[in-house]
Amino acid sequence: MPKLLRQISLLLLLALVPAGAAGLFHPRRPAWQSDEIVAGTAESWGEKVIWVDARPPAEFESGHIPGALSLNEEAWDASLPPLLDAWAPEKIVVVYCSTLSCQASHEVAHRLRDEVGLKEVRVLQGGWEAWRRLHP
Amino acid sequence: MKKCLHRMLAGGVSALFIYAGANKALDPAAFAFDVQNYRVLPWLPSVFVALYLPWLEIVCGAALIPRRSDRAALWLLTGMMLVFLGALLSARVRGIDIACGCFGSSGKPGVFGEMLARDLAILAGLAVLLCCPRDRHG
Repeated sequence: MPKLLRQISLLLLLALVPAGAAGLFHPRRPAWQSDEIVAGTAESWGEKVIWVDARPPAEFESGHIPGALSLNEEAWDASLPPLLDAWAPEKIVVVYCSTLSCQASHEVAHRLRDEVGLKEVRVLQGGWEAWRRLHP
Repeated sequence: MKKCLHRMLAGGVSALFIYAGANKALDPAAFAFDVQNYRVLPWLPSVFVALYLPWLEIVCGAALIPRRSDRAALWLLTGMMLVFLGALLSARVRGIDIACGCFGSSGKPGVFGEMLARDLAILAGLAVLLCCPRDRHG
């Protein structure tokens, strides 16, 4: 049994080495701080915010945050130019999707940072659902 | 014959975990979002899991092959699979549509039944390997 525990510890330690290196040097390493913000905080930024709706177009059409731009991965190339036109260095892009568990907002935020090179991109925690709770 | 089947099963499970770990290790940022999406851990622990777990899978997958380390790897992988199953069931109970993240990030919610069946099949494979040590087959 002590031999088994020793081996288990060794495997656990072995995995730490590349994991640590990935945390320091991996080009796709995650940010140490969450990029999510709550609706109230984003709202308090007022005019500085560019709202980006990452839901499918049909959901966007049926209701969205006032002034939001639709940008989803299916129509990326066509939807990106309006966002770039609206963008300015002092602006903060806040992306949202449907609910707490949807991932489209994270994917879109990720692409805006990595591919487009925007620095201030955040994700609205709880998405459209959270916004609706705040503005019934 | 049994020895041969045992080797094939161990090789298959080993390849599966190395493949799953490598896919996740390629994009730890995306995997961190998958982990975060289970809403079990805050962001920072999700980041540590996203950086560490893929490599633990790769190390354990590789350690299944040499005889001297296979028991330790089997126990670790079984423990991991139980945690994955617990997280999957917990997400289901809380009504969260998750992308499993099991083989790298797809960005789309998975089908719960498929994910559950896959996890149970892997767990069954691990259980067989644990219950029938290599030595027993000579």
